[in-house]
Amino acid sequence: MRLTHGRLTLELHEIAAGRSGHQALLLLHPLYGSSAYWSEAPVTWPGGVYALDFSGHGCSDWLQGGAYYAELLAADADAALAHIGRAAVVGAGLGAYVALLLAGSRAELVTATLLVPGAGLSGAGPAPEFTAPRLPIDHPLPHESKGAHDPMVRVLDREVRPPEYVEPFARAANRLLLIDDQGPRPPWWQAARRSPRAESAPADLSVAWERLAAISP
Amino acid sequence: MVEPNYPGAVAPERERTFESVGVRLHALEWGDPAATPMVMCHGMWDHARSFAVLAPLLAERFCVIALDARGHGDSTWAAAYTWPADVHDIVCVLRALGRPAHLVGHSKGGGQATDAASVAPDRVRQVVNIDGFGPPPFPIGESPLPPMRDFLDARRRMTQRNAWRPYASLDALVERRRHQNPRLSREWLRYFIFHGAHEGHDGWRWKHDPHMGHGFGPWRPEWIGPGYAALRAPMLAIVGSENDTWGPLPEAVLAERLAHVKRLERCTIAGAGHFVHNEKPVETARAMLDFLEP
Repeated sequence: MRLTHGRLTLELHEIAAGRSGHQALLLLHPLYGSSAYWSEAPVTWPGGVYALDFSGHGCSDWLQGGAYYAELLAADADAALAHIGRAAVVGAGLGAYVALLLAGSRAELVTATLLVPGAGLSGAGPAPEFTAPRLPIDHPLPHESKGAHDPMVRVLDREVRPPEYVEPFARAANRLLLIDDQGPRPPWWQAARRSPRAESAPADLSVAWERLAAISP
Repeated sequence: MVEPNYPGAVAPERERTFESVGVRLHALEWGDPAATPMVMCHGMWDHARSFAVLAPLLAERFCVIALDARGHGDSTWAAAYTWPADVHDIVCVLRALGRPAHLVGHSKGGGQATDAASVAPDRVRQVVNIDGFGPPPFPIGESPLPPMRDFLDARRRMTQRNAWRPYASLDALVERRRHQNPRLSREWLRYFIFHGAHEGHDGWRWKHDPHMGHGFGPWRPEWIGPGYAALRAPMLAIVGSENDTWGPLPEAVLAERLAHVKRLERCTIAGAGHFVHNEKPVETARAMLDFLEP
């Protein structure tokens, strides 16, 4: 179905209708991905399952002017919550960072959140690079101009993600599950993991999924 | 309605457009096209006519190009707005000019002109920043959660609101802006807002995009000073002597930030508030001409 967010229209895919009386699940894909990312995932969920295409990705509109930022993608996801109501949220890569921002700022709507590593997880690191500044936005090269995503979305991977910015979101979130497979994780992830609301989840996604269902009221 | 007059305001000699990732940027131009280019960047909620008095005073020596930032004046509205996107727009203009330019900016435009000079050092000769040194430090311990909630609520409302409400008259817009910036004269605002608003069948509306002004993220004012360390071009930092709605910063904060600028000249214009170039255009132009290489 099509959602409206400001002047954008976004695609929200209903993957499973679910049984009534059960909570919905919202899936947020990694950078350069789309809802198709979740077709491989072991989604077992009793309620409705929805996968969003972020702006600039999949079947959603591209942002004229290229001014992508993580909080705007959180507003994309908030437009999905406005449609489906209270939900558990699973985010991968950039989608995990966006899911955490949403879990902290819409705690009344996000019952539990599962963070999964993936593309766009680290961004430009925890603090700006003052000595050698680089314009995060640049014109796409001609060969990049066709594809499943807007080439300008790469600015999302050049945003800093300070742990001290993330901490209040992690503290305000209801329940956080973070996939712990011993792989490298950026400082913002470590900060979220230290929240009293957070716990590690096994690397086996199907087990993590069951845990998410168990803690999501 | 006939264009209001304002003493010293000179109609632009030419208009032109630039392009930045699908956004069309409108600009006004004064002076000999063969002269050294000087690009001017206005502040938030303003537009290129902000420089309609200052630019003609510099046009004997320079080709002055005053931009409408995306979402402002006669430039197109974008789907979203960020600081880096605005900076990229300025760099696109510098690229299109094809030769090094002086960069001038006021308020938000001053900060963005400075950042553009840092990321495109080979395209910028000198920088003039007119009271564009950022907001004061955020209060200690301020949580990002309330502004994030406000941001999400505003994005939900936006879907319903794609245009400004109409005002009954141009003077109603003038009074609205004067409420924000009481130091600006009605005479100036009538001229300025005439070019920053549309008259429709049901009244007057701002030209700028109602979807702006909700940018939000991890950025901190403490990053401004260290960011200046990357600036290679010389900077003239201009502030007014008078307290005003949006400036100047407390001297200790300003001095701490400017201490990072390698090649700095400072100038305080007596009797001016935040809109230094509108309140004291002759004095501002004189300080700039003293500083700028031909």
